[in-house]
Amino acid sequence: MNKKIQRSLAVVSAAALVFGVAAAQTSANAAPKTVTIAYQGPLSGGEASTGTDEQNAVKYAIKLFNAKNKATYNVKLVSIDDQGDPAVAGTVAPGIGKNKAILGVVGPAYSGATIASLPFYKAGGLVLISPSATRVSLTDSASPDFGGPVFHRVVGKDDLQGPALAKYATQGVSNAKVFVFDDQSSYAVPLAGYVKGGLAKVAGATVVGTDSVPNTTTDFSPTIAKIKTSGATVVIYTGYYSQAAVFIKQLRDSGSKAIFAGGDGVFNQEFPKLAGAAAEESRVTGVGGLAGVSAALEADYKKQMGVSSGVYSVESLDAANILLQGILKGNTTRAKMLAWVKAYNGKSITGNTIKFSANGDISYGLFAGFTTKNGVLVNTGIVK
Amino acid sequence: MKIRNYWNLRDFGASTWENASRPVRVAIALISIVLVGLLPFMGGSILATPIASFDAVLVYPVGMFVLMSLGLNIVVGKSGMLDLGYVAFFAIGAYTMAILGTTTGLNTWEIMPIGIAFAMTAGVLLGIPTLRLRGDYLAIVTLGFGEIVRLVVLNSSWSKGPNGIANIPMPPNLGPLKFELENQKVFFWVVMAMIMLTIWMIRRLTVRRPGRAWEAIRQDEDAAELMGVPTLKYKIWSFTLGAAVGGAAGVLYASKNLYIAPEMFTLNVSILILACVVFGGIGNIWGVVVGATILGYLPDRIRFISDARLLVFGLVLVIVMNFRPDGLLPRKKREKAIVKKGANA
Amino acid sequence: MFAVLIDQFWSLTIAGVALGFIYVLVSLGYTMVYGVLRMINFANSEIFMWGTFGTIVTSRDIFGYTQTSAPATGPKLALVLISQLLMSMAVAGLTAVFVEFVAYRRLRAKGTNRLATLISAIGISIVLSEIMRLLTSSRPVGSPRVLEKIILTEVWGANIRLDTIVTIFAAALIYFLLERFVKLSRMGKAIRAVSMNEDAAKLMGVNLNRVITTTFLVGGLATGAAGFFYITVFEYTKFNIGFTMGMAAFTAAVLGGIGNIRGAFYGGLFLGLLEVYASAVLGTQWKAVTVFVVLVLVLLFKPNGLFGEAVQTTRA
Repeated sequence: MNKKIQRSLAVVSAAALVFGVAAAQTSANAAPKTVTIAYQGPLSGGEASTGTDEQNAVKYAIKLFNAKNKATYNVKLVSIDDQGDPAVAGTVAPGIGKNKAILGVVGPAYSGATIASLPFYKAGGLVLISPSATRVSLTDSASPDFGGPVFHRVVGKDDLQGPALAKYATQGVSNAKVFVFDDQSSYAVPLAGYVKGGLAKVAGATVVGTDSVPNTTTDFSPTIAKIKTSGATVVIYTGYYSQAAVFIKQLRDSGSKAIFAGGDGVFNQEFPKLAGAAAEESRVTGVGGLAGVSAALEADYKKQMGVSSGVYSVESLDAANILLQGILKGNTTRAKMLAWVKAYNGKSITGNTIKFSANGDISYGLFAGFTTKNGVLVNTGIVK
Repeated sequence: MKIRNYWNLRDFGASTWENASRPVRVAIALISIVLVGLLPFMGGSILATPIASFDAVLVYPVGMFVLMSLGLNIVVGKSGMLDLGYVAFFAIGAYTMAILGTTTGLNTWEIMPIGIAFAMTAGVLLGIPTLRLRGDYLAIVTLGFGEIVRLVVLNSSWSKGPNGIANIPMPPNLGPLKFELENQKVFFWVVMAMIMLTIWMIRRLTVRRPGRAWEAIRQDEDAAELMGVPTLKYKIWSFTLGAAVGGAAGVLYASKNLYIAPEMFTLNVSILILACVVFGGIGNIWGVVVGATILGYLPDRIRFISDARLLVFGLVLVIVMNFRPDGLLPRKKREKAIVKKGANA
Repeated sequence: MFAVLIDQFWSLTIAGVALGFIYVLVSLGYTMVYGVLRMINFANSEIFMWGTFGTIVTSRDIFGYTQTSAPATGPKLALVLISQLLMSMAVAGLTAVFVEFVAYRRLRAKGTNRLATLISAIGISIVLSEIMRLLTSSRPVGSPRVLEKIILTEVWGANIRLDTIVTIFAAALIYFLLERFVKLSRMGKAIRAVSMNEDAAKLMGVNLNRVITTTFLVGGLATGAAGFFYITVFEYTKFNIGFTMGMAAFTAAVLGGIGNIRGAFYGGLFLGLLEVYASAVLGTQWKAVTVFVVLVLVLLFKPNGLFGEAVQTTRA
């Protein structure tokens, strides 16, 4: 009897969890017009930290906007959690594509999830501005992955970054012997290809070895053995900062003094924090963060959001601002918003001019070089 | 072990069915099919999923999970072999569709048999050497096979490596039924038809020689062998049929999702499908259907607790397994294997 | 293709042995439980992950080390390392006992099918990893360096590093102690008795629940020790590291012959070496494929693993 009660209680509480829909919040204040934009990226699962950082920047932009335009507009944010996973994106996107209340999307954050979502957004005419999807094929009209006309991005693509990374990594090294390896992800493998392409154009540089290391690896000893055998003087890693930090520690502990360089996946102030002294003098390409734009902005961000800004916060802010300015101009249908973004000509918070090409790329996309000094990645200027 | 007869939906269902006359049975079946077929129109009701689109959720994960769980149930539930690499067959089907669909002019329905054939071939090739192993050794070998398929696809250029394959064609229209991006009800009906076909196949097989052979193998493989059941042959059959269902699901999935990448075919999918089978009631078709429906649907339904939904998912697994270890709708008692304590099976 | 292997053979071997010993300890977690219950303790990977966090919390929050502070020396070094080890073992041991209590006990008492237990264990491992994910906001956590990674000497062109040596010897010692415990102690004998024949053991007055809890505890302690060595060598953890480690260690346990303590030892070392050699020769992207192909081949010719399950005298 007792067991029965327990059981039914369990069933009831499970049911309450499942079907207990949170009551929709309706506001009685009808004066400002409510409009909705969305952020799409990984908000749960293994990649959640990237998505959370980006979404915070979008929330910050909306917070400022709503405070400023209290009387006219009230912008709401829909969080679309695709876990950075194309399989999840495929189930989430149809609903977003159909939901005409959503005027535009900041995101998707990841290229794979973007490709999986695109058919639905194309069908729905929903404009996308991604802060971090860098895969070249997304804006290549000859590719099956092509995202036009809806896809735009405010981040430089891989074929700009690859050569920049190759140049920056080999700066000041004569006859560089370069070892290139990636983390087997869909972000890293193509980027590694563009890095190799870029190295071919650097005088004296040769690729002496390559590897492809699954992104769950923590034991890099085989890769380090290869680096030592190849006699590499420069090691370039395309992958993410957490793995890079584990790797660079092991590389330095093995006694190697080779220069270490990484792409924008490594560009994160967590990298020197995780790697400690081993990260000193590491070279990383990326686009500067909020603090790099202005310390006051970062301070205000921290005050408003309660956390420091993270990866791609500048890009996320830019992307959100483009949509918000569109709203302010009264572009409150999808078609108008798409036209607004396509014709957009404005300034990024970094001062660069944002103007999308026909395929959805920004014109600048210049990558800055960063070097770790005393545990901080320091901007050394745009890589030329 | 004491038999407790509480809240027994299975027996209720079974007795209703057995006591019904033929016309009543046909009526029950038709009404159920129509009701399930109307599900995609229920998007506005309490069933709606907060962020994901309801009709898309019905196709994947729910429909696909039911289909794959039924396939895996042939292997795990009917013949008692623990397979942790079921995703491999799903991946083989999906990649067959993706590659043939983007490079040749074949459409989904023409590729379907090819995909199934590839999956079955893989099932036979894997089955012949490995099905001699038992219990957990089989589990880890199948798990390894699942990972090998994913890694080979990830590391090869013909599959476009980690980039995945985009622009997979949608199925051509079936007469008046049009496949649409924005409303996936036709996809759902196709999945439903495939599920019914699978259920029909399993039910036919279960009452015939293969079903009895599987049953014997599951209860006691040595005894079955002794009684003259060619165990290896029937095990391979069961494995291959399971593979065929997985392959078919893969073909349809690729054609529905329009884009596939290796990261969609991780071990997690195998584990999730196994969880569906066991959660619903291993060996019992309707239990498996219920289990897969709930586990496919639940994570999307409870998105409003977004960050903690996997946590809730894990808790649900633990709680339900602890209180109903034979699943929500367990198979009939007489079909349960004799628990051999200390036996390694 | 083999240039790397020939050139760096001893470096690779040392790294492989150190990695192998970590695998040995985690495999013990699988093999102990399997020996007694005939079940895969699916949650062992998450027990390992909790152990790594126990290690980091000790040095970072209790002893106040940061990423920039100097490594410890002298008696302080011993104190910190030993407390880290004990903390990791305690956290993992308690987690293992908790897992047994929540996911296994009730089902075992009912004598139900093994798959239900497997799914229950999968459920609890999702819960364990999700709790940690929420606690750490999905971010990786770096460990402060406590043990300076001094290069002690160079043998045949390979650096012999302090942390590798500590890992190899301490892990071997812990393995040895556990093996002795299972072989010689009264509780160990009870564990072996249960693993050979549960009913007979019960008849002989063995307290089954206590034996099983102890088995989980011992497995957890071994896994926790592995967590400590993992942090000492790699200085990094994240909520999802358990999965990869669990797969590897489980494979190692099966390679050696699951349920067999000595099998875990050889299986772990074999796997550690196989991984580094395969990565060096074929490229790291083919590491996992090689491991599984070797596993399938081994099982085809030795269906109970390299050392078999039948070694009753050493079986856990």
